[in-house]
Amino acid sequence: MDPDRPLLISLDAPGIPDDQIVGGKAAKLAHLMRAGFPVPRGFCLTTWAYEAFVIDARIIPAIRMELGRKSMDDMRWEEIWDAALRIRSTFLTQPLSGLLQTTVAEGLQLFNSSTRLAVRSSAVGEDSAGHSFAGLHESVVGVRGTRAVEDAVRLVWASLWSDAALLYRQELGLDPARSRMAVVVQEMVDADRSGVAFARDPRDLRRDHAIIEAVPGPCRLLVDGLVDPDRWVLDRATQGVVSWLPGQREDSDQAPLLQSEDLQHILQTLLSIEQLFGWAPDMEWTGRADSLTVLQARPVATVMPDDDAKRSWYLTLRPGDARLKALRQRIAGQLIPELAAAGEAFASEQLDQLDNQQLADAIEQRSQALVKWKKIYWDEFIPFAHGVRRLATYYNDVVTPEDPYEFVGLLRDQPLLATQRNSVISQLAQQLKSNPAVRAAVEELLTSQTHALPWSSFRDALLQRGGGAEEFVHTFDEFQERFLDVTFDHERLREHAGPLLRNLVELSRYSDPPEDHRVSPSHASATLEEKLLVAVGSERRAEAIDMIETGRVSWRLRDDDNLLVSRLDSQCLRALGVAATRLRELGRLTGDGHLDDSYLARLVCGLREPATAVITVEDSTKSDVSQSSVRPQGETPRQLIGQPASPGIATGVVRCISGRDDLGKFRRGEILVCDAIQPTMTHLVPLAGGIIERRGGMLIHGAIIARELGIPCVNGVRDVTKILKNGDLVTLDGHLGIVTVGAADFDLEIGGVH
Amino acid sequence: MDTGEPLFDGDASPDLRDASHAAVRAPIQSLVNEQAYAVLCVQGEGQPYGALVAFAFSEDLRFAVFATPITTRKYRLLSECDHVALVIDNRSGLSSELMEVEAVTATGRSQVVARGPEFDQWANLLISRHPYLKSFVRAETCALFCVHIVRFLHVARFQEVRQWIPTAHS
Repeated sequence: MDPDRPLLISLDAPGIPDDQIVGGKAAKLAHLMRAGFPVPRGFCLTTWAYEAFVIDARIIPAIRMELGRKSMDDMRWEEIWDAALRIRSTFLTQPLSGLLQTTVAEGLQLFNSSTRLAVRSSAVGEDSAGHSFAGLHESVVGVRGTRAVEDAVRLVWASLWSDAALLYRQELGLDPARSRMAVVVQEMVDADRSGVAFARDPRDLRRDHAIIEAVPGPCRLLVDGLVDPDRWVLDRATQGVVSWLPGQREDSDQAPLLQSEDLQHILQTLLSIEQLFGWAPDMEWTGRADSLTVLQARPVATVMPDDDAKRSWYLTLRPGDARLKALRQRIAGQLIPELAAAGEAFASEQLDQLDNQQLADAIEQRSQALVKWKKIYWDEFIPFAHGVRRLATYYNDVVTPEDPYEFVGLLRDQPLLATQRNSVISQLAQQLKSNPAVRAAVEELLTSQTHALPWSSFRDALLQRGGGAEEFVHTFDEFQERFLDVTFDHERLREHAGPLLRNLVELSRYSDPPEDHRVSPSHASATLEEKLLVAVGSERRAEAIDMIETGRVSWRLRDDDNLLVSRLDSQCLRALGVAATRLRELGRLTGDGHLDDSYLARLVCGLREPATAVITVEDSTKSDVSQSSVRPQGETPRQLIGQPASPGIATGVVRCISGRDDLGKFRRGEILVCDAIQPTMTHLVPLAGGIIERRGGMLIHGAIIARELGIPCVNGVRDVTKILKNGDLVTLDGHLGIVTVGAADFDLEIGGVH
Repeated sequence: MDTGEPLFDGDASPDLRDASHAAVRAPIQSLVNEQAYAVLCVQGEGQPYGALVAFAFSEDLRFAVFATPITTRKYRLLSECDHVALVIDNRSGLSSELMEVEAVTATGRSQVVARGPEFDQWANLLISRHPYLKSFVRAETCALFCVHIVRFLHVARFQEVRQWIPTAHS
């Protein structure tokens, strides 16, 4: 080992370690230890160790590949998460060199083999005064044994490139060539009281107050937000208690968790640390009074330095395991049934029989329900979607598969509403296929009509033609009831059966079940489940089963919740439609424009107050975003890059889907180009030769469905809906994530310069 | 017959010498070891075409390997004409030091390698040099080409050109 580049430094080694070598956390801990503060024993794997690992395992080019695929400013959060997952996988699948293994073993000589250890990040520059990046990097607690420590160290190193860290890449100055991460390995000390203490109130640093928070048990219960703490505000000058707020805990007897002497000891420790470092600390601690142990100290930061509200919101989308489980129980057990029941109740209401006042009430009730459920969607459903991502990291940490998306097999065959919907669509297409007379009648009606017929009129016309259309009509009626009560592009699909009927005719021409390109049997759900349970061992079996369940429910519900909220939206539009018809008949509403919820207040007012002015529904022609090209003049796109979201290669002509009418134009074999596949348009996927989406992510709808059906898919292609036009010939390569525009037979420069 | 070319156009006649392999092999070996990317030169129906590729050479320098997606122009051109050249140089960081720039042009015949043990062998050679290309090289839509090197032309000091033909015993 090069003595100028030590790979390991003991926390109690003489001299003050350099922040650049041991990172912020370890430097402060070593400093505290040297000053006589009680700090758990441990050692630090220096930034030289990180460097040795990434150079030896040649990880830097892999990080560059991930982060250079497209401008990070153009990446959605899901894409950043994907990049972080692949980087993490690269770290986890590379072994430590012999030298690094020896170094870890040397450090572990400090402890017994049974000692429970905490392996924590110590990034260079983190926790500097005024800035705190707490929570961006990982810590692994309860680690025992050499192999487990090595795994935990790799995981902590990888967290230098976590999704959260990548969001703050500019503030952190992340650079694959220069950024380094040290790791602290310490004995775990968990007393019956732990907590966090601030030498100054983070909400207002000018006040002469200190804050102490305490929970029963280990500190991580508080840091992870799993237990509500008791909270004291103390006067720094008099050291007296200004206020005490008991934590809201089950079985809490409301007696304060800390006594006066405990509080005094913690405050004294805070003030001594402040004196030592010259800044007011935020300290994690465990133990009481004389047995107090300092787990960590860093400068109090007021808030995460952030001018981007969206970014801080992303960070809330990563709930901890306990919160995920609580969300699962609440969402699956209570919210989804309630949401389904609300939609059902609205759908069964006979709006025609209501008087104007009652109809106005019904509109407002639907609107309020929609607002309420959209809030729940953002506050609870979206964070719960993290359950799938959590399953990914859990599976990858334990199994370390070569393919970081192997875990997706665990989600296979979940009973999604969208899957059930597609299966009825398949059945309808089969019915048309087996009855050519009905298909011909449907086609004729679709061709002859100049205006879109509502299904009710269409079905009557179809039944009049005879030919045994009853079965098809019956199935379609049920289908309408069950699945089409949703909105697409702000319109009720139920009122526009035309596009779907066109899709059915198209599907019926080729309605052999799609060829099963599914992944090999070794990836089947049960096999992967067994693989995970074996790898995790009997001690953590229950935890793993729970994690799989959370992931599956999260995956299933993220799809269903979209459709169920969309049904409320549809029911809101239905009530507005009834109101509009009624007011139109009374001559109090004119105009042929599209009726949306921006007319809600005026329609309600019109129903309630007969004297109100005539309402005019403006004809607001929607701009066709997909066709507003961003191709600079004279420039032809040749190869676009995105994520390889579903393997395979396909050549075909582009069909951009941006509005409801585009759905009906889709023809088999075309390349579906869209912003993102929505749950209400998944039935197009079996018709598509391939899929290209602007929105990126390996776990988004389109990617998963395409993989299920074995259809090539490239997503995360910047501006693709603007760059590609209907009729463009493209070849998409779902193995490599590239889209080639133009004929496969390249133009060669033959015949001189044109 | 290919007589080699100087690095830059100029009036001076190229200084082409047959070199003993012992003398010229070392700088060639250095360049292929130090540089990660080469300009692959291909042609089709009289039209030349160049593209950057990540490469690896066999230890004896008789073979080079690179990979390309099957949807690319270079793949199509290679399918029609197997005559290729690889240009490897050390310009980066030396742009103002003309006399220090070195380049090697390796000419030969390319062949797509079918999946199987031979593919694995060449793929592993390329991946060991470029580990971050593992999923790219292994992708079904990526073709792996092995170039049987016929000749190296090493250029240094602006105009000094030396030729070396690797053999099984060199």
